[in-house]
Amino acid sequence: MTGYDTAGRIQNTYVSAHREFGANPSFWIRYFTPSPAADLFHEAAVAESRGAWDSGGPYVGCISAPRQSRLSGSAAEGHADAQAFAAALLTAYHAVRPLLLPANGQLYCWLDQEYSTSLSSSYWNAWASYLADYNFAGLGTYPLYPCLYCAPYSPYPNCSTIAKSPGVNKPVAVWSSTPEPCGSLTRPPRWNAAHCAVIPTRLWQFGEQGVCNLSANVDLDVGAPGFAMASYCFRLKYRP
Amino acid sequence: MYPPPRAASTRPVPVATKLAAAPVSSPDQAVTALAAVDMVHDGAKITLRLLDATGATVARQGSVTVTGVPGDAHVLVTPVFAPGSAIVSLVLAITVPVGKHVVRKGHPHTGHPVPRVATAWRSHHALAYFDQRSGAMTGPFHLSDEPSLALSTAAANGSDLLLWTTREPQPDDPAAIRAQASLSRLSVFPLGSGKARLSTSAPAPWPGGEPVVTLPTGDVARLVRGRHVQVCSARTGEVTELEIPALRQGRAKPSAVTMQARPDGTVFMTKPGAGVAVLADAADSFRTKTHIQFPVPASPLGAPWSKAVLSPAGETMYVLGPAATGGLCAYHMGSGKLAASYSEGRQYHGLYQLPSGALLAVRPENPRLAFFSADLSPLGTADTNLHVSAIY
Repeated sequence: MTGYDTAGRIQNTYVSAHREFGANPSFWIRYFTPSPAADLFHEAAVAESRGAWDSGGPYVGCISAPRQSRLSGSAAEGHADAQAFAAALLTAYHAVRPLLLPANGQLYCWLDQEYSTSLSSSYWNAWASYLADYNFAGLGTYPLYPCLYCAPYSPYPNCSTIAKSPGVNKPVAVWSSTPEPCGSLTRPPRWNAAHCAVIPTRLWQFGEQGVCNLSANVDLDVGAPGFAMASYCFRLKYRP
Repeated sequence: MYPPPRAASTRPVPVATKLAAAPVSSPDQAVTALAAVDMVHDGAKITLRLLDATGATVARQGSVTVTGVPGDAHVLVTPVFAPGSAIVSLVLAITVPVGKHVVRKGHPHTGHPVPRVATAWRSHHALAYFDQRSGAMTGPFHLSDEPSLALSTAAANGSDLLLWTTREPQPDDPAAIRAQASLSRLSVFPLGSGKARLSTSAPAPWPGGEPVVTLPTGDVARLVRGRHVQVCSARTGEVTELEIPALRQGRAKPSAVTMQARPDGTVFMTKPGAGVAVLADAADSFRTKTHIQFPVPASPLGAPWSKAVLSPAGETMYVLGPAATGGLCAYHMGSGKLAASYSEGRQYHGLYQLPSGALLAVRPENPRLAFFSADLSPLGTADTNLHVSAIY
């Protein structure tokens, strides 16, 4: 199952992406507060959701990319960033009537850790535990599951940090940004994502726009064999 | 070799621990503020240390205790310098547990509900002020903004502190409140006061992490959405939004964005993920004076966030080299043309110009620190076991 992540507008992107790859994505992963480009979904959730629906990939995954120096910081910073992330998810959920939680009750919430960023245990544990404990929309189902986007072989701590995290702070999944052999939406490379020792890699960003000279404003992602990323995204029941 | 070889082997000397947030530099870069939090028997003790940037020695320090804060609370501290004033404001986001409940959460692999204890939290803000002349700390002044998101944005001029906050959306908010959920609040506090002289709705987006600078007029500009500048009148709170056309371009990968006010009244903005830097005239509606385009570097988002710097005289912009080659590049601000480049194949992830004029490039692999002259001649490298998130 392949899909896109992008910091561009879905409604302005999906046509060119379809022209380039000739197929519909299974999902879109979008940036939520606190992140650069978080405004796109936050301020235009309905338009973005219509774009996702019209693209044929009516599943919206969630990532947050705080200012990267914060990730090596304190528990207070991790807690504050997770609080804003959860609030942004709730605001989008309320703003788009047919935006539903995954049927399996597990919405993967990714923290963006770039290659050159160091992740501290204080930050991660506070970030992860806040999300895991968040009573989303008062439903009492606690559907947010912390996950980590990272380059597992970076010299800075990422896998080692999450390996030490206890209980629900341990991420459910890793989304690996390496290696980048490129490929296309319909012909992704054979599964070869970098991985951590303890946490399984379930999503692989195998082609970034800049590295792979893609004309559409998208990066390409593929799920691990047997893993359906769309099942862990917000889903649109109908066109908003 | 720069710094001298001996410096590379000198062991780091910690000047503060348990930092509550990243350090903050004064507008003239002469002082760096470090805020630390210690949980003590009657609350949270916040200590502000002001380092002389050249000697890295503690020039001033003061502390304040927020009483009644439980030991498992989170206290986020944001120091805010005020150009033209000796007052350093401290914005405190205080988040406390308000309930622990046994809940049932689906096991990630089986989906079966598993009982666990979940904690609910509430945040509000408080202010404190440190006078660099007297060494006196005043406050804390608690604001009645609970439930609030802990993330905020703050800036100060010679007389006021401007603070952007956002109400935390609640699950049971009525529809009318939900419709307002995307609105933040801007409050203006006279320096030293816990009572706002002005409080008004602020346009989106939510505050938290966006670059913000104080302009020579005393008004405050924040760079939002990676392409718009919101200029806020410190006197009335009125916000004027301007688009920076050169920053309009977006890519699939988000980008760090930076904004720096310069002594001549111009503002330098960078968006390395789009390969763009802009020098704008703040006094002329942020009209673009110079617009530089450069190849996107390999790491437009990762730490450190400083990917491009403008020389003190404003003649040359230094930036990380293209993703394909790495190294560094220099552009002539007058013509926008590439003036020099250097690459030995290394990909750097952050770039700073030191007070000496030398450039410091940073990468995760050792040697993590590489020094260059202003004409991009390599001066030397240094290994370190420190994880470099930013340079001050």
